[in-house]
Amino acid sequence: MKTPSQMSFKRTMLRTGLRTGLAATAIAVAMPAVAKDLTIIREIDSNHYDPPRTAALAGSEVLFMLADTVVGLAEDMKTIEPLLASSWEVSDDGLTYTFTIRDDVTFCDGKAMTAEDVAYSLNRWQDPETKSPVRWRMGDVKSITAPDATTLVYALNAPHSELLYQLAQSFGSVIDKETVEALGADFGVTGFNGTGPFCWESWTPRDQMVMTRHEDYHWGPANYENTGPAQVEKITWQVVPEAATRTVALMTGQGQVSPYVPFIGLEKLRMAPNVEVVRSDEAFWTNYIGFKIDKPMVNDPLVRQAINLAVNQEAMAEDLFFGEVEPAYSYISSGALDWNSDLDDKLLTYDPEKAAALLDEAGWTLNADGKREKGGELLQPVAYTFTGSWAQVVEAVQADLLKVGIDLQIQPFDATVYWGKAATQEFDMFTMGFPYISAGDALNLYFLSANMPSPNRMNWNDPETDKLLYEGATAVDPAVRAEDYGQVLTKVHEAAVWLPIYHKPMQIAYTTEIKPFEAHNIYGAGLYKGLQLGYVD
Amino acid sequence: MLKTVLDRLALSVPVLLGVLLFGFLLLQLVPGDPAQVMAGPTATPDVVEAIRRDMGLDRPLLVQFWAYLERVAHGDFGRSMISNKAVTEELGAAIGPTVELMLGSLLWSVPVGIAMGTLAAVTRGTWIDRGIMAISVAGVSLPIFFVSLLLIQYLGVVLRWFPFIGRPGPWYTAEGFMALFLPALSLGLILIGPVARMTRSSVLEVLSLDHVRTARAKGLSEMRVTLAHGLRNALIPVVTLIGLQAGYLLGGAVVTETIFSWPGVGRLAVGAILSSDFTVAQGAVLLFALGFITINLIVDILYSLLDPRVRK
Repeated sequence: MKTPSQMSFKRTMLRTGLRTGLAATAIAVAMPAVAKDLTIIREIDSNHYDPPRTAALAGSEVLFMLADTVVGLAEDMKTIEPLLASSWEVSDDGLTYTFTIRDDVTFCDGKAMTAEDVAYSLNRWQDPETKSPVRWRMGDVKSITAPDATTLVYALNAPHSELLYQLAQSFGSVIDKETVEALGADFGVTGFNGTGPFCWESWTPRDQMVMTRHEDYHWGPANYENTGPAQVEKITWQVVPEAATRTVALMTGQGQVSPYVPFIGLEKLRMAPNVEVVRSDEAFWTNYIGFKIDKPMVNDPLVRQAINLAVNQEAMAEDLFFGEVEPAYSYISSGALDWNSDLDDKLLTYDPEKAAALLDEAGWTLNADGKREKGGELLQPVAYTFTGSWAQVVEAVQADLLKVGIDLQIQPFDATVYWGKAATQEFDMFTMGFPYISAGDALNLYFLSANMPSPNRMNWNDPETDKLLYEGATAVDPAVRAEDYGQVLTKVHEAAVWLPIYHKPMQIAYTTEIKPFEAHNIYGAGLYKGLQLGYVD
Repeated sequence: MLKTVLDRLALSVPVLLGVLLFGFLLLQLVPGDPAQVMAGPTATPDVVEAIRRDMGLDRPLLVQFWAYLERVAHGDFGRSMISNKAVTEELGAAIGPTVELMLGSLLWSVPVGIAMGTLAAVTRGTWIDRGIMAISVAGVSLPIFFVSLLLIQYLGVVLRWFPFIGRPGPWYTAEGFMALFLPALSLGLILIGPVARMTRSSVLEVLSLDHVRTARAKGLSEMRVTLAHGLRNALIPVVTLIGLQAGYLLGGAVVTETIFSWPGVGRLAVGAILSSDFTVAQGAVLLFALGFITINLIVDILYSLLDPRVRK
């Protein structure tokens, strides 16, 4: 039996608990919001922000806003726009590009930008000391000079038909020499000085990149209605690694824009009253499974074609990606520059019966277990893949292939391990996704024999391809270039060196307090210069 | 007392050396190539090799470890292999948010846990006792990521009471305090269960002792008997438990910080490991080890102060 004092004590404790709970509830206040500040939610950070030294998409996203390039690229991914160069001329032999550099551009620290700064930045990109992983994009450079403050001469040893497209990439961002030399290895880590619409404020790796408006900016590319200054005063790129958190952060207005919404969250966001999703199918990002074509399991084109025919990309796009991606049958998007439209009706689409027939023709017959074998050896190609959503894709491929008797073996690796593994010769198939601006961009990267074993992980070693790629890359006439690249596209599609899975569209979610805008597609950096980002009045 | 502290400190040295060696070897043996990560998927092998040479990764493992030990002995943890930022700078920026998160969770969960345990003890066998024990079991059993997502869904998304991404400022600013609330609530839930259960059993044990009976016989109020004579003496094992659990909070912080995008040491460690940033990962592992050792040292000292038998 309890004494009265014991009962009273219990009541006191209960009352205290209740009061504490009510007090906690009362603490709730409205979320802070400053209309001139904007938070962009992203999944990952870049390794650093030194333009020629990072190939990371997360790096380009920020660099496009912090700096400018010689030329810009419109949303259609085809139209070159004047940017730091107001005009340019190309010599008849395609070896010399003479750019007229604007004389009214200033860096974030107020210093005037001249052609010498442009030459310095581009020469730094090609300098072997810089160890740029994307040096090849510059072409065979003879010299880059600035004869006067407004003239830049880019001389080549061989024509580079896509030079202007490559100069629009963030790797060629114009930066201030003095700042680079003053900061040394810390350039792009502790500071930056560019001519972009935004200026470096602070960077906490893996957490936040903060940039403030470049007040003098007025030289944005003409594809923007607003050529500067930017409409928001401050942009914070906030890293939110958790996919679900990114989705709900937008719904609650804790971020205003995100190009990193998981596929599963897109429909939910479209249904949310305060969020819009802008989509562009000209993003030119393709995910594929490649074949190492000199490995016994997949060295027969018939087997590779059969695998292409046995896999149902459409079902995968619906089931794994909630209908948010475009099933791929071509190696690059048909909207990309120099795509060979003759291939449109020759692409390998889902046809398991034809796949089985091709395997029979190749000599791989079904055994009693329903699996294919030849000379006592089972058809068991080994696929290396990333963990996560890629592993799910490969499992779906495995299920489809099993229906025609192919026993695919999967070895998933974490991304930190995968890149090293993908550079070896241990596997028959591998997974990869990549951004590109044109057929030439993709083909010169993946199908040049000089790029074996990585990034030419297929070991595609064909002198005629090398010749055509060289001719395409050095063609002065765009029609010749398209013809050369068209032939390479035909060759690699006929040889079925890849199993295309899906083309990823650009999808950017933003809250309705932000003015509607068009998504850009350059290198997967959907917000490009950020000049379009502004609050509804 | 001084001898006890010195003994404990001396014991910490081999532990730290072991952590240094273990952390170094573990990260080196894990497959993964920071040079390839830095170079990106489209880099050619010669570029990857040049970056690897620059990072010193082409040297023998023993040479790398000796160089690492020499640097650490001079307080130099090197630079991030990925961002090139000084590791001490990265750790220095991350330690504040982690300490803030741990203190924030301890400050509410310890009093609540002790209050719940005491209430359960004085209401032993009633529905209140059973309810509190059920809550504490749930607190121990539910995975922290699940609890965090529930808190985000209901307190962040449905009710919109609290923000749940990032740390806009230190805790003493309005924005910082609001941002700290959900991560601290989530992390503290780990602690409530063990503290409540330990407090309950300890209070029950003490309340059955002779000196408590004497206090009741002297006519003291039940609250005074419970708080002054029961709880006070029951706290010794609870303090030990809190100390040990505080160490485990560091582990919980890794998950909490990731879900709430909290820029602490846990998230730094996860990011560093995922990007094969060995130098930062090693620094974070060392910092965690130091945290554990320090907390254990404090517990040992506190225990010696509270219970003179330990000193003997």
